[in-house]
Amino acid sequence: MTSQPRAFLAIDRGAATTSVALIGRVGGTWRLIGNLAVPAAADTGTAVDLLARRIRTADPDLAMDLGLGGSGDPVPEGLPRLRVTSHRPRRLAVVAASERALAGLVGTADRSGWRTVGASVEKMDPLAMSGLLLDPDVDAILTGAGDPPRPDERSALGELAALVAAVALRRPELPIILAGGMSEGLPAFGDGAQRPGELILAPAAHADDHAGPLSVLLLELALSADDARRAIGPATQALADVLDRRIETIILGHDASVRAFANPSAGGVESHARLSIVPAAAVAPDDPDDLVVDGVLVWSTVASDRHRLRDHLRELRIAPWADAAGEGASLRMAAARAALVRLVAHTDGKEASLAPDLVVTGGGVWSAVPAPTVALAVVDVIRRPGASQYALDHARLLGPLGAIPDPEERRHIVRDLADDLLAPLGSIVTPAGLRAGRSAGSLVVHAGGASTEVDLIPGGLELVDLAPGEVAVAEFKFRDTVRMGTRGRHFAVDVGGGLAGLLVDLRDIPLRLPERADRRRDLLAAWQQALWAGADL
Amino acid sequence: MTDPGSRSDLALVATRRLLDGAVDVAFHLRPGDRPLVASGESVVVGAPIVERLRDPQLIEVAVPPSVDPQPGTRVADGELLFAWRNHWRVAGGELTEPIDTPVAGIVRDVRPGSSIVVRASGRAMHGIVALGAPTRGRLHIVAGSDGELRTGSLDVGLAGTILVVGSRIEAETLTRARAMGVRGIIVGGLASKERRDFVASERRQHAALHRLPAFAVLVLEGAIRRPLAGPMMAVLQALVGRQVAIAIDPPTLLFDAPDVVIPVPPPDLVRVRAGDLAGRDGTWVGSLGPRRFAGGVHLEAAAVRFDDGRTLAVPLGDLERFV
Repeated sequence: MTSQPRAFLAIDRGAATTSVALIGRVGGTWRLIGNLAVPAAADTGTAVDLLARRIRTADPDLAMDLGLGGSGDPVPEGLPRLRVTSHRPRRLAVVAASERALAGLVGTADRSGWRTVGASVEKMDPLAMSGLLLDPDVDAILTGAGDPPRPDERSALGELAALVAAVALRRPELPIILAGGMSEGLPAFGDGAQRPGELILAPAAHADDHAGPLSVLLLELALSADDARRAIGPATQALADVLDRRIETIILGHDASVRAFANPSAGGVESHARLSIVPAAAVAPDDPDDLVVDGVLVWSTVASDRHRLRDHLRELRIAPWADAAGEGASLRMAAARAALVRLVAHTDGKEASLAPDLVVTGGGVWSAVPAPTVALAVVDVIRRPGASQYALDHARLLGPLGAIPDPEERRHIVRDLADDLLAPLGSIVTPAGLRAGRSAGSLVVHAGGASTEVDLIPGGLELVDLAPGEVAVAEFKFRDTVRMGTRGRHFAVDVGGGLAGLLVDLRDIPLRLPERADRRRDLLAAWQQALWAGADL
Repeated sequence: MTDPGSRSDLALVATRRLLDGAVDVAFHLRPGDRPLVASGESVVVGAPIVERLRDPQLIEVAVPPSVDPQPGTRVADGELLFAWRNHWRVAGGELTEPIDTPVAGIVRDVRPGSSIVVRASGRAMHGIVALGAPTRGRLHIVAGSDGELRTGSLDVGLAGTILVVGSRIEAETLTRARAMGVRGIIVGGLASKERRDFVASERRQHAALHRLPAFAVLVLEGAIRRPLAGPMMAVLQALVGRQVAIAIDPPTLLFDAPDVVIPVPPPDLVRVRAGDLAGRDGTWVGSLGPRRFAGGVHLEAAAVRFDDGRTLAVPLGDLERFV
C-alpha cells in the first residue's frame, strides 16, 4: 500500500463467510465502493468478479476511474489486496503443579487465541499427563508456576519439569513455554537451541491481568500476522486515535470471538489496544457440551429441547453458511448471544465495566440479520450503566485495515473510511438502579428544533426514532437517583442516530429472564420484534 | 423467476470433494501402546500394527547404567516416560490386544505414545465424523438414500458387512448391529442423542473382557436427518459387494478398487443442504444477488431448477456441489 493505487480489495476470509470489499479513491479520499459476503467455502476469485460486475453495472464511469475496466473485463491482476484470514485456533496443553497455578495459566491462554486443555499434578497422574501432552492434536505446551513458586507448587515442580522435558524430547517440533517459576526447570530441557520447536521463557500468569506480558506472548504464538482476529487490536486502536473516542470492539466468530479496548493515543505516546481472542466463545463450538447448549437455549426464541438444539449447533459447526433464514436466523442470534456471554465471562474486568464512547461489533454471524437487532443482542448480554454509541463493521473492514503494517498509513486510511466502515446502529442509554414501578421518570429528546417526550417504564425498552447522522440531546429526569456513569437524577446526554435510533434500556442489570422457557421465549421475542422488521418467527 | 444471473458464478457454491486419492490415516496411541511397524514399511489389510495396552499403569524402574535410555523407548517393563530421582517412570501393564489395519498402505510416521500414520492406498470418500474403531467389511446397502434402518431388520446374515442405512439410525440399532457382527454403518445423519448413547455403549464394550470385532459408524452429512447426497449414493452403489474400510481420523470410507467406475456428477448439479428444500438435487441456473428470505433476512441467492420443473431462489449458502 505504499504506491498510489486508485483502488484495492479488502478480503476477510472467515471460517464461515468471506467478505470482499472494494475500496476506491474518490474525491481525494478512500471510500468503500461496494462489498459482499459469500460462504467461506466459495471461490474468492469468483466473489471478486461478482463484486466488480456489480460495481460496473451500478456506475460504469467510476469503475473505469478505479481501474476495474469495462463490462466483461476480468478484474485486474494488479489490483492490490489486503487479505486476512481467520485461522482455526490451535490447541495448547497447559500443565502446572497446582490447580491454582493451572487456573491462572488456562485463564490467560483461553483469552489469547488458544484452545486449551489443562491438567495439574494435583489432579492427574504422570501417565495420564504424558498421554495428554503426547496427543497428536496438541500444537504447543505451556507449563508454569508462580514467580516465585508457591509452597504448594514447589514440591511438584521438579517432576513436572522432567515430564515436560521428556515430552519435549519426543515431540521436538512442539513449542514449549515455561512461565514464571517454571523457568527453574530449564536445565532439564538441555540445549533448547537444538530443538526445531521454540523453547520460550515467559513471565508468570496473573489472574486479573487481561493483557499482561504472558497474554501478549501467547497471542503472538497463537496467531499468524495475517490473522483477521489479531488485526482487530491495531484496527481498534486506529479507530480510537482517529475518532478520539474510547472504543470497545466485539467480533463474534465461528471459531473464536474477539474483544478489544482502546483509548486514544495522547501526548505523543502511541497506545495499544488490549486484545482478547477467546476460542471458547466461538459461535459454533466443536463439540457443544451441556453448558454450551443450555447457554444457547436461554436465548432461543424457538421452542426446542437440548438434543435438537445440540443437533442444530452441530449443523451450524459443519456448514455455518447454511440455513441462515427462518429459524436458522433465530438460532444464530441465540448462539451469538450465548457466545457473547462466554466472551464476557473470559474478558470481564474493570475496563469492561465502564461504558465506552463507541462499541463496534462485527462478524459473519451478524451479516444476514437486520442491523438494529445486532445492537439489542449486544446490550442483552453486556449490561453496564451508561451511554454508548453502537456501530457495525458491516463490510468487515476492520480485519484487513488492522493488518496494514504501518500505523500511520493505517490511521490515514481508517480516517478516510471511518464513516463508511461503521454502520451506525444508534445510541443506547442504560440507567442502573431503577426502582420497579409505573414510571421511573421521563425523557425528552431535543433534535432539529423538535422535542419528543417519552415516559420511562422500568423493565422495558424505549425506542426513539433517530436517523443515522442525526444528533440530539437526550434529557433524562428520573424520580430517584440512578447510575449512568455517575449517580444522579437529571442527565443530559449527547446522542447520535442510527439504524436502531435511540434505545433506552430500562431492564435490569444484570438482565433477569423468566425461569419458564415459554415465558422467556415470549419476552425475548417481544424485545426483538421491535427491532427485527419482518421477523415472522 | 426471471433474469437469472451469470452461470459462471457457480464457483460461489460451496464445494465438497466427492473422492480423494490416497489419504493419511492416523491411529492414535497412548503411552504404553507398542507400535509393531516402522516408518517406511508396507502394511497389508489385516496386519497388526499396534499392540494396545489395556489398563496401562505407571511403574517405576531402575535402568542399568550401561543402557542409554530415552523417553519413548521400550524396556521389558513397558515404555519409558521420564527419569525422576534415578529411576524411570514407565507405562506398562499385563494385558495387550492387537490393533489391525483395515487398509493397505505405507507407514508414514510412527510416534510411540502419539500416533501411527499410514498412507492408505486406493481412494477415499470423506464423511463428517466417524465413531468407534477403524474397521473393514463388505459394503451392503440396506436402505435408500432417505431410508432408515430399524432394529428388527438386522440379522446375523449381515455379519462382516458395512451397511449403508440411509438418512438416520438409532443408537439401539447400532448396538444391535455391532452385536450381530456387522462391522460398520454408513449413515446420512446421526442425532446427538444417538451419538451420545452409542459412544457410551462403545465405552462399556471396550471395558468388557471379551470384546467384539472393531465397529465404526461413518456419518456423511451431519446431525439432522438428511438423505444421502446423490453423487455419494452413486459411489456407494458402485461399491456394493466390495471390501471397504472406515477410518476414524480422518473420517473416511476407503476402498482400493481401481476397476470400479465412479459416475462423475454433472458440473451444474447442486444440492440443497439446508432449509425447506434440504436434500434435493437441482441444476444451477445462475446467481440472483441478494434476496429476502424467511425471518426478514437478506442473503445472496441463486436460481436452481429442480426435477419437477420449477426454478426457485435458494440462499447461496444452502447449496453445495460435488467436485
